Amino acid sequence: MKDIFFDLSVRSVRLNFLRSLLASIGIVIGVVAISSMGMLGTNMQLQVKDQLSSGADTIVITADAVRMGPTGSSSTSSSSSATGITKTQLNKIKLAAGTANKIVPIYSTSTQFTLAAVPGRSTVYGIDPDDITKFLTISNGTNIDGINDALVGSTFATNFNLKIGNRIRIGKDTDASRPVLRIVGILAPRGMSSDNVNTDNAIVVSSDWYTNQYGGKDVYKQVNVIVKNIDTIPDVEAVIDAKLNTDEKKPAVRISDASSRLSGITSTLSSITTFILAIGGISLLVAATSIFNVMMMSVNERIQEIGILLSIGTEKGEVRRMFLYEAVILGILGASVGGVGSLIIGYSVVSFMIGTTKYFFLPASIIYIPVGMAIGLAVCVLSGMYPAWKASNMDPIDALRAE
Amino acid sequence: MIDTPLIRFSDVSKVYHLESGDFTALDHISLEIQDNEFVAIMGPSGSGKSTMMNQLGILDVPTSGELFISGRNVASLTALERTHMRRDIIGYVFQKFYLIPLLSAYENVEYPLILKHKKRDDSGKATAMLKAVGFDEAMSAHRPTQLSGGQQQRVAIARALVNDPKIMLCDEPTGNLDRKTGFQIMDILTGLHREGKTVIIVTHDPKIAEYANRIITLEDGRIAA
Repeated sequence: MKDIFFDLSVRSVRLNFLRSLLASIGIVIGVVAISSMGMLGTNMQLQVKDQLSSGADTIVITADAVRMGPTGSSSTSSSSSATGITKTQLNKIKLAAGTANKIVPIYSTSTQFTLAAVPGRSTVYGIDPDDITKFLTISNGTNIDGINDALVGSTFATNFNLKIGNRIRIGKDTDASRPVLRIVGILAPRGMSSDNVNTDNAIVVSSDWYTNQYGGKDVYKQVNVIVKNIDTIPDVEAVIDAKLNTDEKKPAVRISDASSRLSGITSTLSSITTFILAIGGISLLVAATSIFNVMMMSVNERIQEIGILLSIGTEKGEVRRMFLYEAVILGILGASVGGVGSLIIGYSVVSFMIGTTKYFFLPASIIYIPVGMAIGLAVCVLSGMYPAWKASNMDPIDALRAE
Repeated sequence: MIDTPLIRFSDVSKVYHLESGDFTALDHISLEIQDNEFVAIMGPSGSGKSTMMNQLGILDVPTSGELFISGRNVASLTALERTHMRRDIIGYVFQKFYLIPLLSAYENVEYPLILKHKKRDDSGKATAMLKAVGFDEAMSAHRPTQLSGGQQQRVAIARALVNDPKIMLCDEPTGNLDRKTGFQIMDILTGLHREGKTVIIVTHDPKIAEYANRIITLEDGRIAA
């Protein structure tokens, strides 16, 4: 059935085509703004999550920062080497974590080095060669075998144009002993890893070489527990916590995992997303005002017509419907064009700002198009409500008299 | 069988509250109009003709007194019931025609049928009504702005008649027309009266009032004659 009130609305929109078009453009812009901003934020979150989730199966245990060396022994405060996970603690961790999960104790410090007479500074990790392959990938070359063998990160290798077999001299020019390391392998890129082991710009050596060079044997910077089943992380953490942090007031170790670190970053990112969504929302507010304005103009121009309709027996609800249809038509027009625009502009913005569109068509991202369209339509209908109500509640006698 | 009047004003007053004070537009009017009468309401400007038409057209309710139309007390009806009475038992013909500008002549006539039956007309009634006032199919497709005054008034009469109302309420129906066209319209209304409709017409023009069987003259809100 074709509804005569719908016909009347369509004709009214057509009669005032330019005005209606301009009002709809407001909605188009609003929908595009909300959808694109929403998709941009979501794509950003998805990308960061993806980058960080490489270490999602890893629990990182570090010495609690508050506990700096033995209390009252200020004479030995020159050394901070007491900060770290001790052998006793490591054994407790091994016991707590069980045999199914891999335990990787890691030394690390910052060091100076010289490469073909060019000095530099980077992080150096000391890890048992058997542990290296448990969580790092050697993309080129082999694992550490001899005591002076070393691995370097991908960025490090690229920056210094290193090849397998090149040598690095460790330490400052003024140091008495400046050992030489031989590069046997280059590690695959890890990105910003969530397990605190950022090897891309670092040197990895065997734990034996590390303790020979820097001392601090059996005092690890961190111990990574790589769990077999990611769902057991909370349980494993609880057991480790119970075993090691016996003094509640002074916890000995700090236990963290990717999800706790991730939640911090994602909540920041989602605040940013909300903020940019709000900016998109403002444009819809402006659109709402223009739709409201157009609807009021439509009502005011048609007062006499409304008077005719009411006086010959049109129900208030029918008059209301006629004007709401008009708002809906403007809304559907604006939302449809806005939806297509969002797809194009959103895709361009995401690919330009994020550099990849591989998350664009995921439900979490693409959902912003229908959501944006629905919001645009809702804004239209809401803006049309008062004008429609006003039209339907006119006094037919007064309305007929209007010129 | 007691002859219940179609319309009965019983001591009806209508008072408008204006800033300059109360204005009594209708002052204790009592009046009966029977089925199939042809009544002309005359009187100078401000005598209460329009107010009386608004009462008869159920567009307004009395301030005091009672008005019965087709046996129902208008003041006791809900807004929706009044709307339905306007749609079903009253046909309006206005001085300025008041066709719906966005609709064609045919759709204007079809419109009251849609209001009543909540669907597009498939009975051919709208076409028949237009034919009765001298409109063919081609003419029916025109919008009101494409029609002459006389043609618009014919369409307005067809629209008023399409739901087969008991009462034809005509407010200066010839006021915007030339004399010849005006008489043609009056001929149509006379024909309707002959077919059994109750026709009530407001006019300034004594020549037009002569068509009626009964003339009611209003002065300062009272019936003068």
